[in-house]
Amino acid sequence: MMHTAFRALLGGAIASLVSGCVTATVDQMVYNKPENGIGDATVVILGRRHASDYDTEPDFVDCVGDHLAGGDDNIRVIGELEFVNQFYPWFEPRTAPLQIADLERLLQKQPVVAERLAAMNTQYMIWLDGSTVRGDSSGSLTCAVGPGGGGCFGFGTWSSDAKYEATIWDFTENAEVGRISTTATGQSYMPAVVIPIPIIAPVQGTACDGIGEQLLQFLSSNG
Amino acid sequence: MSVSTTSVPEARWLAGCLALVLALVAGCGPSEVVVKGEFPAPTMEKLPLTIGVWYAPEFVNHEFFDEATSRAESSWLVKSGQAQVQMWDVLLAGMFTRVVPLAERPGPGQGKASVDAVLIPEVVELQYALPTQTNVKVYEIWIRYRLQLVTSGGDPIADWNMSAYGKTPTALLQTDQSAVNLAAVMALRDAGANFATSFSRVPEVQAWLQQVHGNTKEAEL
Repeated sequence: MMHTAFRALLGGAIASLVSGCVTATVDQMVYNKPENGIGDATVVILGRRHASDYDTEPDFVDCVGDHLAGGDDNIRVIGELEFVNQFYPWFEPRTAPLQIADLERLLQKQPVVAERLAAMNTQYMIWLDGSTVRGDSSGSLTCAVGPGGGGCFGFGTWSSDAKYEATIWDFTENAEVGRISTTATGQSYMPAVVIPIPIIAPVQGTACDGIGEQLLQFLSSNG
Repeated sequence: MSVSTTSVPEARWLAGCLALVLALVAGCGPSEVVVKGEFPAPTMEKLPLTIGVWYAPEFVNHEFFDEATSRAESSWLVKSGQAQVQMWDVLLAGMFTRVVPLAERPGPGQGKASVDAVLIPEVVELQYALPTQTNVKVYEIWIRYRLQLVTSGGDPIADWNMSAYGKTPTALLQTDQSAVNLAAVMALRDAGANFATSFSRVPEVQAWLQQVHGNTKEAEL
């Protein structure tokens, strides 16, 4: 009995150690929530890529999409690459509409784009804008390799900051119906005695969960 | 018959030296990237034109070589010709009613192809930047094109420059080569997007379109 309790405590201690601490905040402003869910309609989630110094990471876009699809089986999320390829060249970093009015103008000028969008039955377009950046780092880690083997010794730590904003466009209303923003900060550690042990703070994952959960509450009839 | 024996520590030293030599030899060659990617067909109203396209041998075999300036850097060879042709073929087929590839540059002495005009793309400049050079965590590629639109007899209709840019962020377990390839693919997609949305707005092309078809169709987006 004592053995089991000790093992459970040890397991808990290891679990809390192997991932660093993350602090996150989520702000949202949404209206015109679909009370009965989105039915047969589809949702597309796209990343903003027009800034010069950062790109919204494709894996973050995938993560939010997976969170939505995993949280409610009725929500069908169209993959970013599939959508962007289907509508090439209108959603490239150079040409992507920044306002919903730009998209309306595109649909008027290019009926073939409007037809394809209607065929996909897309009701919501969600734009994700932001990135996760690595901040200050400190400590030192030395690794050496020789004929007899190798190893590392030392300690390193660094911070990571994630900042994302989701903007929701509703095609039935032809309007922006919400903005959700999230920030997350975490500290990661890397102690090394022969083998480096990375203790990574899941900053991007926490931001993904935060924004994904709010989007799920907005779109899902279960929420 | 002579037999040489090597003790275990000696064998380890030899293996270590061999690995070091191999690593040094491998480090001497340039980092080579043959750009490969998939390019989607454009979703747009086709212009009612039969366009010829001629790719110069320098375009088809386009490659960019950048020699390292210090020991810390590595030389780069980026071969983009094949991907260029692939992208332009798909793009033009989606933009115009009919596309005719030409084997020779249009000129007064050449056979007259039954086309409305001939497009001749040319890569004037290609530049790249790695995170190690810029301290920004993105891989970048810039391409500057010279585009010529000529009649089937080789007379100039329009001659303009167009730029394209592609970038990709650093990612875990991504090699410099795969990141440069991805940035190049993004640059080619950007070139296609730029051309597709700006072709009808080039003043000389606009005037020619009005002359040929009275076509005032503009991609004002």
